[in-house]
Amino acid sequence: MENLKLNDTPVRTARNFAINNIELPVEIPNKIKNFENVEITNCKSKIDNEVSNKELTYGIGKIFEELVFKNANNKIRIQTTKQKEDIKIIYNFDEKNLNLINQIEVLAENDANITIIYKSKTSKQCFHTGIIRTIAKENIQLNVTIVNLLNEETNNFEAIENTLYQNSNVKYTIIDIGGRTSVSNYYSNIIGNNANNVLKTIYLGKDKQIKDLNYIAELRGEKSNIDIDVQGALNDEAKKNFKGTIDFKRGCKKSKGNENESCMLLSNRAKSIALPMLLCTEEDVEGNHSTSSGKVDEKQLFYIMARGISYKEAVKLIVKSKFNKIIETVQDNDLKDEILKEIDERLN
Amino acid sequence: MAENLLEIKDLYVNAGEKEILKGLNLEIKKGEVHVIMGPNGAGKSTLANVILNNPQYKKISGKIDFEGENINNLSTDKIAKKGIFMSFQMPEEIPGISTINFLRTAKNNITEKPVKIFEFKDSVKKYSEELNMNPKLIERNLNVGFSGGEKKKNEILQMLILNPKLAILDETDSGLDVDAIKTVSKGIEMYKSTENAVLIITHNTRILSHLDVDYVHVLINGKIVKTGTAELAKEIDENGYTQFKNM
Amino acid sequence: MKTQVQEVNRNIYDIKNKDNYEIKIQGLNKEIVEEISKLKNEPEWMLEIRLQALEMYEKLELPTWGPDLSELNMEKIATYVKPKTNLNTSWDDVPEDIKNTFDKLGIPEAEKESLAGVGAQYDSEVVYHSMKEDLIKQGVIYTDMESAVRDYPEIVKKHFMKCVPISDHKFVALHAAVWSGGSFVYIPKGVKLDIPLQSYFRLNSPESGQFEHTLIIVDEGASLHFIEGCSAPKYNKVNLHAGCVELYVKDNAYLRYSTIENWSKNMMNLNTKKAIVGKNAQMDWVTGSFGSKVSMLYPMSILNGDGSKTEYTGITFAGGGQNLDTGFKVVHNAPNTSSVINSKSISKDGGACTYRSLVRINENAKNSKCSVSCESLMLDDKSRSDTIPVNDIKTDEVEFSHEAKIGKISDKTIFYLMSRGLSEEDAKAMIVRGFAYPISKELPVEYAVEMNNLINLELEGAIG
Repeated sequence: MENLKLNDTPVRTARNFAINNIELPVEIPNKIKNFENVEITNCKSKIDNEVSNKELTYGIGKIFEELVFKNANNKIRIQTTKQKEDIKIIYNFDEKNLNLINQIEVLAENDANITIIYKSKTSKQCFHTGIIRTIAKENIQLNVTIVNLLNEETNNFEAIENTLYQNSNVKYTIIDIGGRTSVSNYYSNIIGNNANNVLKTIYLGKDKQIKDLNYIAELRGEKSNIDIDVQGALNDEAKKNFKGTIDFKRGCKKSKGNENESCMLLSNRAKSIALPMLLCTEEDVEGNHSTSSGKVDEKQLFYIMARGISYKEAVKLIVKSKFNKIIETVQDNDLKDEILKEIDERLN
Repeated sequence: MAENLLEIKDLYVNAGEKEILKGLNLEIKKGEVHVIMGPNGAGKSTLANVILNNPQYKKISGKIDFEGENINNLSTDKIAKKGIFMSFQMPEEIPGISTINFLRTAKNNITEKPVKIFEFKDSVKKYSEELNMNPKLIERNLNVGFSGGEKKKNEILQMLILNPKLAILDETDSGLDVDAIKTVSKGIEMYKSTENAVLIITHNTRILSHLDVDYVHVLINGKIVKTGTAELAKEIDENGYTQFKNM
Repeated sequence: MKTQVQEVNRNIYDIKNKDNYEIKIQGLNKEIVEEISKLKNEPEWMLEIRLQALEMYEKLELPTWGPDLSELNMEKIATYVKPKTNLNTSWDDVPEDIKNTFDKLGIPEAEKESLAGVGAQYDSEVVYHSMKEDLIKQGVIYTDMESAVRDYPEIVKKHFMKCVPISDHKFVALHAAVWSGGSFVYIPKGVKLDIPLQSYFRLNSPESGQFEHTLIIVDEGASLHFIEGCSAPKYNKVNLHAGCVELYVKDNAYLRYSTIENWSKNMMNLNTKKAIVGKNAQMDWVTGSFGSKVSMLYPMSILNGDGSKTEYTGITFAGGGQNLDTGFKVVHNAPNTSSVINSKSISKDGGACTYRSLVRINENAKNSKCSVSCESLMLDDKSRSDTIPVNDIKTDEVEFSHEAKIGKISDKTIFYLMSRGLSEEDAKAMIVRGFAYPISKELPVEYAVEMNNLINLELEGAIG
């Protein structure tokens, strides 16, 4: 097992602030066979495994990037068809499929909804790393939902790279509640004019879970928009690093960027670090960010408990109420129930 | 016959790619009170903004003359100095600048000579009392944290202090309660004289019951489709704009 | 519509005196450090600190983040420049050329009108120090740092480089090795000064460094407003400022530390300021950063006492060729502590502003509060403005919120002001002035006047 420095921020700050990257002991599985338990539903679009090995702009780290390019045990490339589809890709981790190194590439030439789910059907320790690349062509509406429901023994490392061309509209919803350590990198390259990217995330940490989120949006096109909304809760000794960067590149006139991260601390041993960066070399833009941390609202808690609900249930209710506006964007009702059930269990 | 104060001829105006004003004509003489009415989106606010040459709007053709001089290409401050005032529908909030200092700066700029400080303070005090304004308001930052009514009264206060030749009131009455409308009307009465003129832009008729109006124009789809007396406003009040839509 | 704001008039600050020194020592090594110590007749313990610091300096790396410092060549920088005068207690005894400079900066005049005491440093040495008679009677000490080492060794030993450890970063180590000048202030228990003390630092000598040390102890229940000003004429070669400010705010005490930093645009300003705040005490920082080519400056409050408070109010204005990396650090280290951070920046003509900060709320800081607000104004599309705030929260019993905004002056606001007869330039200047007002109003009058020199008057133009 070696200690790796992962998920570098685009701009460094003082080392003793402990946020430039995350240092973790990582064990990378050496024997990799194909990951068999994958379900792909509702897909009439063209599917193959001709994914690109083009270098990532950011990513989790070179070691993982090379691992994925060399040793991926599952590759999916989708070119969306004319008819708008709800494509679902489900990775079921089980006794025979403990390690997943995957690549997903979506070339959206037409509107589509893509849902990617990672589930554990085993309590054994699993490993996942992967690269998801989405490219939204002109005028395309693309919705991507990523759901991490991996068991508490599993380490999860995911890099996402998203490119937006003119007038495209891409919505990402990331439900990051599983895994022991979950490290994610999201990079949005907003090239086209009038492109619009919304990213909504919920994370939930318990026990000694670590969540490391590194979100980067670069605005290049005029009148473009990025909106990042991250809602989280940390219980027990869970720890979270949120690094969010909105980078207004020269020329992205009349663009707007908003970033909001809010972390509910459910325990006095939980730790939350946030680094919401705004970088700007263009005058004619509007950028806002806000972050907040704190306990569950005591007035709300009192109100709910006054109706005869236990403390624990009341906390759950409040956490879910904050998460709900994001979970509601998940269209599939069964999946929504599954997510809520998982949140319940993790808050027990 | 008195000379025209403001004369607009065949004015075509775009906002971005969109045509807003499509051949508008208007003449205002000293001593007159004009009202422009029209449904939402007809181009009423555009007209006010274009007279003051807001760079957000582009004049395609036509001309705007003030006291016989073309002001099409004058910058906004120069137009203000010529004596045109606009009361904003949504006055801007400016943190860090007190209302009283702003007023004095504006007055200095308009008159192009430093005002006498005591005289100035007295007149501000007098007018703000007449307008039932909280005396502390003028010490606060310009429009910051003002209620809707306070902002509108502050616009009228500025009009009284700057004493322009032509006052354009863009939806000054909208969002105000009955008492505030009375106060604003009182402010307009105080300002009005035979030497100046008022152009009121509104989409309802409430404020008109407090004022003597000479002309009412109906603006629809970027053009003035009908001009009449105060009677016309009453007619609109009863029957709406539908009757003019096909004109 | 392009936003244009006039360049700041630097005439007053740019008066160059002849480089008329008694001693000028260039470079950095053990012999040089020993020589500086010897010139100052220092006790052995101080020399030991200097030598330890030099070792530390050699060990530590340059920061791996922030602005480029590669232009700085320590071998070329004069580490010690003694002007041709000793410490004086009357302006009449200060050499003519030096006195003229401080006259033009308005220091003796401000002393008469609104200050309780003044210290003035020229290059490496303090040339003037004086305080009102009645304060001496109350036991207030305000003197240059060298005198403090000689006259109050026990107090200095206990506090010097204890708030800021020499290992903090490379330039702190450098400072401790070659420090010279600066002010020492002690306010006895319960003594409340109602008018400020002010130290002014002037660097005249080209290609040299200023390494003044400011040590302030505000004892229990006492209160002080301390003002620091700095400026230098512009040279073509790099100058370095690596001062260090250590502030001890004891239980129930109050300290306000105001700075107007107006170094010339060839200055590398790598300064360190830190305060340790006791029980129910309050530390307020007011900072205006206008000058220097490169700044890395992040004042820090360590809230060690239950119920302690800190407030930071800062403005940074970067023009062409400037890279100003500024901000604030606060560590909440006790229950019921609170901090308020209010930062503004303006970038123009290719200037770069970075707001960099750390808010750390430790496990034991139950029932603490922190609110951060930063606003950045971009005046053109050649400039740069970055916001890099780290918020590290280690306990749940907190209220923490952070807000940041970036953008330009709204066209609508400009139109509104122009409709009242202001020219476009005046309208913009007025908006910028309003933007800076929350900071300028926190400054004492004479410094607000200096800030006026720097932005208000120039930006205002014709506005009365």
